[in-house]
Amino acid sequence: MTSKLPVTVLTGFLGSGKTTLLNRILTENHGLRIAVIENEFGEIGIDHELVINADEEIFEMNNGCICCTVRGDLIRIIGSLMKRRDQFDHILIETTGLADPGPVIQTFFVDDEMKDKLTLNAIVALVDARHIPLHLDSSEEAVKQIAFADSILLNKTDLVTAAELDALEARIKAINGVAKLQRCQNANVPIASVLDIGGFNLDRAIGIDARFLDPEYPFEWGGILEAPAGTLTLAASQNPDPSMTAVIIPVNGTDDESLAFAREIAVRAFSHKAIEAASGSVLSADRIPYDLVLNDGPMQWTCKVDASGPLAIFTQHYPEELGLKFLAGSEELHPPIAASYKPDHTHDEAVSSVGIEVDGECDAKKLDAWLSKLLRERGTDIYRMKGVFAIRGNPNRFIFQGVHMLLDPADGGPWGNKPRRTSLVFIGRDLDRDSLNQSFRKCLA
Amino acid sequence: MPRLTDPDALEEEEIEIRSAADLLPLAWTADLAEYALDLRWSPDGTHLAALPSTGKPQLFDLAEGEIIDLPFHLGGNGSLAWHPRGHTLATFGQDGMLRLHEIPSGNSRELQLPRGWTERCAWNANGSLIAAAVGKNVHVIDATTLETNRIIDDHRSTVTDLIWHPVLLDQLATASDGGARMWRLGETKPFARIDDGVAAVLTTWSPDGRWVVTSDQTPSVHLYDLKKRDPLYIQGFETKIKAFAWQNGGTPDLPWLALSGSPVITVWPCYGKNGPRGAKPHQLYGHLKEVTALDFPKDGPYLASGARDGFVLLWLPHHSDGPALIAREDQEITAVRWSPDGLHLTYGTASGKISIHSLNPEATR
Repeated sequence: MTSKLPVTVLTGFLGSGKTTLLNRILTENHGLRIAVIENEFGEIGIDHELVINADEEIFEMNNGCICCTVRGDLIRIIGSLMKRRDQFDHILIETTGLADPGPVIQTFFVDDEMKDKLTLNAIVALVDARHIPLHLDSSEEAVKQIAFADSILLNKTDLVTAAELDALEARIKAINGVAKLQRCQNANVPIASVLDIGGFNLDRAIGIDARFLDPEYPFEWGGILEAPAGTLTLAASQNPDPSMTAVIIPVNGTDDESLAFAREIAVRAFSHKAIEAASGSVLSADRIPYDLVLNDGPMQWTCKVDASGPLAIFTQHYPEELGLKFLAGSEELHPPIAASYKPDHTHDEAVSSVGIEVDGECDAKKLDAWLSKLLRERGTDIYRMKGVFAIRGNPNRFIFQGVHMLLDPADGGPWGNKPRRTSLVFIGRDLDRDSLNQSFRKCLA
Repeated sequence: MPRLTDPDALEEEEIEIRSAADLLPLAWTADLAEYALDLRWSPDGTHLAALPSTGKPQLFDLAEGEIIDLPFHLGGNGSLAWHPRGHTLATFGQDGMLRLHEIPSGNSRELQLPRGWTERCAWNANGSLIAAAVGKNVHVIDATTLETNRIIDDHRSTVTDLIWHPVLLDQLATASDGGARMWRLGETKPFARIDDGVAAVLTTWSPDGRWVVTSDQTPSVHLYDLKKRDPLYIQGFETKIKAFAWQNGGTPDLPWLALSGSPVITVWPCYGKNGPRGAKPHQLYGHLKEVTALDFPKDGPYLASGARDGFVLLWLPHHSDGPALIAREDQEITAVRWSPDGLHLTYGTASGKISIHSLNPEATR
């Protein structure tokens, strides 16, 4: 049986760095022969590589899917490339900066020959960190490019501040919570992270963890301090609310991984009843949530640090909202790493991700009916779907991926000893998290 | 008696077929070592031109047993076409180069056209003009001077196919996004069009000049009756249509149009007042996978078909007998062509194997 040829779709607004990335991919010594189909201006003439300019050719399929538009040029050009497939290891499709990626992606779901011979490796969105906030406010295509992506390269990070970057990253995650996000400058990322993603592969589909899609974190800020042994003081000067919840968690490092680890602990800690702590109280760095009582005038709380090391702190509001400082003696400590978790309340994204994860099995008939109805009624607003289902009576995982109204189901192999549960993710416009959750639960066996 | 059985096709009705080994035994094979994009016989049947997807097109001198390598096209080969009356072979590729090879002399002439996606070149009925599609434009070129007479540029997107009227020297049809357009040289607008809204893929013109037929990216086919100025839309096929062939001999009423994209071949009557409208087509079952190539002899009734299942089958569409097996390959069949005299059938595969089966006079008695 012949293997399928992987295809990567590269999206991104004009100026996001697609051409820089393409040049790197085409010139770097990665040992792959890549055919590039470009839909942008100009050509990239690279030795022994094939670059084909396509005339954009979008048409509607008369297949019952009212939002199904397909790229005829892609079918034709890829069909031609497939006749010389022994010479290529990978196809890379660059879309125009203003393109809606939907028709490109749907092409791979609709055309029988494409489905038969190709595998959609990933949709990679390149994002200009400086200009994307404007584009997200004004362009539906920019939002869609992020919503459809399996991998997002947050480029030109040197042109914005760390705080702006955090805010942007949080905003992007609110739109698409499942895409892998990488920060970079000059589109300088490992080529494997573009060409070897396997965004639609079985392994990745099975790896969906819908729990991490909920953007509703109970805290707005988290950071890690390098705390010396002795006393850590939390000093505040303002009281926007009567109280504010905070938690202190010992961690092993000051890197992203440590912060992500602490974030999950903090989510759980915030779900417990907090201990009221008036100014002057002593706090424990032991994952205990405290309600810091806020008054007029200076306030402070202390925490005993037995041995120097990193401490993660998560606060319900931004530290600056109450003038919160972290002090070791008289020295102010600045967190080497921090993140915003509700960075900008003015950006309630219309496009968002909704994840559902439920232990137990689904009833196949109920699930079929639910999905059919959902896609019939909301298919135009649902950009992407991925799911792994446990179906009663089926010893194997049932997985699917979809674009708008199109679903591509597959057998995900046996569950083995793993707990049978269902994880699914929707990325789309005006999704009602509660309604989706409630309606899905009716499919449980 | 071979049987078409395939474990992948459990739901397919098993069809018994006869062997055509006695009727059309294998006479000759060659290896292009590349996907056989197209095969074309010279008008006198002495040469067979083979176009690989990349690399050198090859010309087989069947009488002398010689193989002539022709220059390849950078970026991939596009199409080839024989001059209708002579020994000139045109090749055209993604480099935008149109080459005319004079076969007896070995001389060739070249015309560099602009770069753009290229699918097709074709001669008009007397070989005075050659048209070449480059991106959204069709260049109509004087075959003697190699000067461009006209550029037809009123297409929404890349021209995916073109064909000249079988008799009239100044009419051609082009396929692109939105359907087919029929042009008369000297006029700025098409004199007829098939507006289907979907990207057209293939177009063909019936031998009597009455019908222009277009397939597109959907499971449908569009016919335009030039006699009645009447478009006809046929849908309900399993897949999009990838192959056409016209029957223009062997039955009293002609022509018939065979078309396919799925394992089923459908043959429509295109004669009489209404042509296919309201008619019941023949449906030919035998292939297990999508049919990729069809051809009738110039004036005979035997339909040859090739498919992704690797079978090359022979049919008499108007008889109830099932197909006869000419060959079974382990690769997709990409082209089938009858020789001009109808005595030889050639086919090519995705791996580049080319075979010729020749009619056994003994078996026909």
